[in-house]
Amino acid sequence: MAKVKIEHLTKIFGKRVKPALDLVEKHVSKTDILEQTGATVGVYDANLEVQEGEIFVIMGLSGSGKSTLIRLLNRLIEPTSGSIYLDGDDISKMNKEELLDVRRKKMSMVFQGFGLFPQRTVLENTEYGLEVQGMPKEERTKLAEQALENANLLPFKDQFPSQLSGGMQQRVGLARALANNPEILLMDEAFSALDPLIRREMQDELIELQAKQKKTIIFISHDLNEALRIGDRIAIMKDGEVVQIGTGEDILTNPANDYVRAFTENVDRSKVLTAERIMEQPVTANIDVDGPNVALKKMVTEEVGGLVAVNRSREVQGFLSGEAALKARKEGLALKDVLVDMPTIQKDMLVSDIVPIIYDAHTPLGVVNDEGRLVGIVIRGRVLEALADKELDNQETEVK
Amino acid sequence: MPIASWTEKIVDWMTANWAGFFDAIQHGGQGTMDLANAMLGAVPPLMMIVIMTIFAVLVSHKKWGFPLFVFLGLLLVWNQGLWADLVQTTTLVILSSLLAIVIGIPLGIWMAKSDNVAKVLQPLLDFMQTMPGFVYLIPAVAFFGIGAVPGVFASLIFSLPPTVRFTNLGIRQVPVEMEEAADSFGSTPKQKLFKVELPLAKSTIMAGVNQTIMLALSMVVLASMVGAPGLGQGILSAVQHAAVGAGFVNGIALVILAITIDRFTQRLNVDAVEAQQQKSKWRKWVGWLTALVLAGSMVGGLFAQQAAAKKSVSLVYVQWDSEIASTNVLAQAFKEKGYQVKMTPLDNAVMWQTVANGQADGSVSAWLPNTHQAQYKKYHKNLDMLGANMRGAKVGLVVPDYMNVDSIADLQSQADKTITGIEPGAGVMAAADKALKAYPNLSDWKLQGSSTGSMAVALDKAIKSHDDIVVTGWSPHWMWKKYQLKYLADPKNTMGQAETINTMARKGLKADKPEVYRALDNFHWQKGDMESVMLDIQNGMSPEKAAQKWVDAHPKQVNAWFEK
Repeated sequence: MAKVKIEHLTKIFGKRVKPALDLVEKHVSKTDILEQTGATVGVYDANLEVQEGEIFVIMGLSGSGKSTLIRLLNRLIEPTSGSIYLDGDDISKMNKEELLDVRRKKMSMVFQGFGLFPQRTVLENTEYGLEVQGMPKEERTKLAEQALENANLLPFKDQFPSQLSGGMQQRVGLARALANNPEILLMDEAFSALDPLIRREMQDELIELQAKQKKTIIFISHDLNEALRIGDRIAIMKDGEVVQIGTGEDILTNPANDYVRAFTENVDRSKVLTAERIMEQPVTANIDVDGPNVALKKMVTEEVGGLVAVNRSREVQGFLSGEAALKARKEGLALKDVLVDMPTIQKDMLVSDIVPIIYDAHTPLGVVNDEGRLVGIVIRGRVLEALADKELDNQETEVK
Repeated sequence: MPIASWTEKIVDWMTANWAGFFDAIQHGGQGTMDLANAMLGAVPPLMMIVIMTIFAVLVSHKKWGFPLFVFLGLLLVWNQGLWADLVQTTTLVILSSLLAIVIGIPLGIWMAKSDNVAKVLQPLLDFMQTMPGFVYLIPAVAFFGIGAVPGVFASLIFSLPPTVRFTNLGIRQVPVEMEEAADSFGSTPKQKLFKVELPLAKSTIMAGVNQTIMLALSMVVLASMVGAPGLGQGILSAVQHAAVGAGFVNGIALVILAITIDRFTQRLNVDAVEAQQQKSKWRKWVGWLTALVLAGSMVGGLFAQQAAAKKSVSLVYVQWDSEIASTNVLAQAFKEKGYQVKMTPLDNAVMWQTVANGQADGSVSAWLPNTHQAQYKKYHKNLDMLGANMRGAKVGLVVPDYMNVDSIADLQSQADKTITGIEPGAGVMAAADKALKAYPNLSDWKLQGSSTGSMAVALDKAIKSHDDIVVTGWSPHWMWKKYQLKYLADPKNTMGQAETINTMARKGLKADKPEVYRALDNFHWQKGDMESVMLDIQNGMSPEKAAQKWVDAHPKQVNAWFEK
């Protein structure tokens, strides 16, 4: 049996709900319903099942009804019609007490803006869910501290949310949701407010958590990469309707319709991706001042095998490999004597044009701006990644 | 539409039918006020100033401006001899504000939770805030008589809206995500309110409370018109006597109090992060210790006061110079005989009503048969009229003697066709109004109401610049000693003949306090006596001192009042 099952779930906002509902049953489109009744359809006859222990991602552009859908699951928004089964019990028919119990014991939610209470410390935030259940203080503090320990946040337990970084705040949000030991985690664009680096970290943490704790996770996202990284199965929504459900592979290989195809960015990426999009931050050595010792130190701390050598005005002078730097130190040479040539490209060069250059190059490519100053480097791996997507796209006709 | 008479009917009905309820509130409220006043008043001023300064140091972190201001400001108030008034005003403000919080915050919560309630309350709050505070005083007196309670009642209505509005606003402004987070963890509505909404709305609510306190302070002056004690009375009497200095001093005291309260409430409103950083052990200790000392000295003082409870008498009067003189003299006489005297200055109509309702023991300020004719007609059935305490009083239209008119009938277009009057509710104003109607040559004249003090100032100014002026005058009055004035003849007798100032007592005083009743009954003196006291006051002596001086000079006469 599915852990969560949704049948004919519909939510209509506005005043004239009844006539709008009749139209939904006749499968009249969302725009026509709005014209005829003035009521907005948030979720339109949604049906899906979530299995125990899977990460189920619901995707869609903004306005597609995905946030409404997740709020219907724990009835933060009351459904207009349809049923939501949790372990076979219909949530939409529950009275207040039963619903409270489900929210307290079975489902916890993590929010896009973290939803932390600013006037409570990290610990007080984490134990909130247990507090409203009336658990004695000592017991709940122990559980909350355990949850924080798991998130490596215990040292910060007496800080306030405003004193933490975004990533830490979201880990508190997650710890708060997990402190209740729920069966289901609802995550509403939980990582969208974080910067990309932290975001990837959090995604990895979530995958790890899932491997350890086997929670059922319903995850809302508008980011395909995120969905592909963490989702066991993905549902794509459009205008309140669920248009396709499947694994990432399914959705990429057999898009149900043009919308999904467009959504999975069915364009020749190598024709639109520029060097700027795939470049990485360079680690540089200034040959006018740095010597081999400094260069080697930098390589160790930055964990790279080579540096881009630049002059004072950040113009590329060449590439300095680790071996060359060692050689310079041994033989007492200056850095500029051991450099190898490094090809440079303009930052708006297309991936498709970079391929032949990088194929011949023995070093990464330096990316320069219009003034000739170094802004990044392109490494082989990223180009291949971009090309891999192209391969996949070539099976389709070009959209643009 | 007879809206006025409907309103009267409703208020009359309420006064009659809910008398028990109102009395209970009046007694409870008065008791609470007296207790709070006694407690605060029991603490020696210097000790209180030090304690307040310590509190100021505790709430302002390493900044010395505020504690210094509190210390010097309160010291100044004490130095000006306004400490007792300040204490009374403070209790009034604290009580109104506490009530506003107790009533306003739940109302605000209810308003935030229900759009329908908000729809009903919004216009009601607008109405409450924009209706002039004066208007609330009228039913307040009808319901609760005079004293601090109607003052609190009027302040409450006037100052409640900000607390309600800001509470509503604060709760409605709680971010949706916070509400959702609270709900998603299965909080009951009550848990959500106390754990999430109120803490998040706290600073907004505090801003509303702060506004409420400020409005309550501004109502203090108004409430004095119905006998609320404190700094307001000083300001009101300064207005009525155009005493710039006294008005300024009382005003400054009120400003010091306002700033002190405002800064305290603002500093108590810190957010969680700040609060955590400010936590320090010694602060807590010092705070509790100071509070303990304060409580101890209050209770101690209370016992001391309880032991010294005495026979009491309450007198009401109008803030005319004549009545200030007579009431103070009588009060001093009572004090010499060991009574606790409560003197309340009121508007004329309210004074009559108060004695008629039995909320004051009596008054020696009834001008009859003409000046207070309207009030006499309305209330005399419920009063015990004890006869004249001074004869030869007179009211009329008065002009400087350099003006060449001798009779009201001679007035044509002098003085911009204006009669400079006093408080609109005064008896002499009603008489002047009658004169305007009775004399055809006055048909296009107007009667300009103001206050006793303003009238005196206007008269002084006119005489100095030798302008025409017609005022509503009366004797005994110090102005007859200061300027060359004359009454205008009144052939139609609209302004009354020579009058008497009479004593009235509440029904039942004879049975309750026979000694007081006898003294009131015996009290009488001469016009010359009164004018000498009035002149002393006019020349800068305080009313108590001037009265004391007269009482000391006439022991025989004073003792005669208290004999059987």
